[in-house]
Amino acid sequence: MTALEAVSVYLPPTRVSIESLAGPLGLTEMQVKLFRRFHGLREVGRDADASLYDLLMKAAAGLAELRGQEHRVRYVLYARTMPVIAPYPVNPLHEVCRALGLGHALAFTVAHQSCASGLLAIDMAGRLLAAEPAGPAGTGYGRAGGSGPLALILSGEKAFTREAQMFADTTVFGEGASACLVSAFGARDRLLAYASNVRGEFDSATGENDARLQREYRPSLAEVMGKALDEAGLTLDDIRVVLPHNVNLVTWQRMCLLLGFPRDRVLLDNIPTSGHVFCADVFLNYQTACERGLLEPGDRYLAAAVGAGGGATFAAMVFEH
Amino acid sequence: MTAQETGLDGEFRQQVVSTVITVLTRLLDRAEPVTEDMRLMEELGLSSTLGLELLLEVEDQLLILIDVELMDQDQMKTIGDLATFVAAHSQPG
Repeated sequence: MTALEAVSVYLPPTRVSIESLAGPLGLTEMQVKLFRRFHGLREVGRDADASLYDLLMKAAAGLAELRGQEHRVRYVLYARTMPVIAPYPVNPLHEVCRALGLGHALAFTVAHQSCASGLLAIDMAGRLLAAEPAGPAGTGYGRAGGSGPLALILSGEKAFTREAQMFADTTVFGEGASACLVSAFGARDRLLAYASNVRGEFDSATGENDARLQREYRPSLAEVMGKALDEAGLTLDDIRVVLPHNVNLVTWQRMCLLLGFPRDRVLLDNIPTSGHVFCADVFLNYQTACERGLLEPGDRYLAAAVGAGGGATFAAMVFEH
Repeated sequence: MTAQETGLDGEFRQQVVSTVITVLTRLLDRAEPVTEDMRLMEELGLSSTLGLELLLEVEDQLLILIDVELMDQDQMKTIGDLATFVAAHSQPG
């Protein structure tokens, strides 16, 4: 069963206030107030001196479990929000792979589901690893705690264009990165279920269904959360904590009303100080939940994300810690 | 349900209604009259974002803080519904 073996997150130490972004982003005073008062976005991370390569390397540097295990890594998946992040032929993903001694791994990007691509990458990594041929008997290859194949999922981006800095009065993106080792048969943080719903009609390029997306956003997210729970044979009452995407506070406050789920069990801590860290939200919030001692062995938790842009994707995953 | 039945301050609620109507008329740049029974989304085309902007302005003008996290949009179809909620779920700002 797909499992998260280890997670590392890097957030830039430098934070910039939402007010200081008003000039560069052309925000009105009302938009700044809206972000702060209702969306709960106070500041976001920015690392002017770090390239995307630097961000990803800093996240990977914290992944002690990767040291000495590089030969086991078959796949490197880069889950990201933006379709284009560097001019050809620059390829930060391949540069990172070479620097980490992972040049042998098959490396590719998962971006078509925008901010929901992180959850898709976890599902893909697990399925790719499960399809790997079994090793010789007795080697433990392919089993928990053995020498089985691994996948590395990287995420995180530079807020390098206006589109990569904010999304239409909804969220402000923060820089940061994450690195996550995934195995096919791990024992801890096992993936119990994954559900997603891709809605191509919500294409922000045309904007013609924007009002409908706003109306259907929360019910659609609730629906995939319910599907993932059904698939896991659980109900919301079994969920210790929800790891949200960090789009904004008010969306999740209203999600809680819709779901009848207590707000103090949705990990909203990182929204005011880090903003929406692209696809890294789920890993950042997982790390925070562990640091705060919110997850005991055996606890089930649910990660949820919405990717909006070229269509919308609603996605949810249920894990057991 | 009337303001009296819900125990609301009817005078304050009416103040909210007129503030909402004034702000909405400007935000929507609407020439036609806006009335209390109008449906916010279906009739006036209010988006979620513009709805939050409306609340911010109402807060500023009435010097209150609205408990936005308790808002259930599905139960706030009309301007009157919104005013009833604001009157019951706000504190001096």
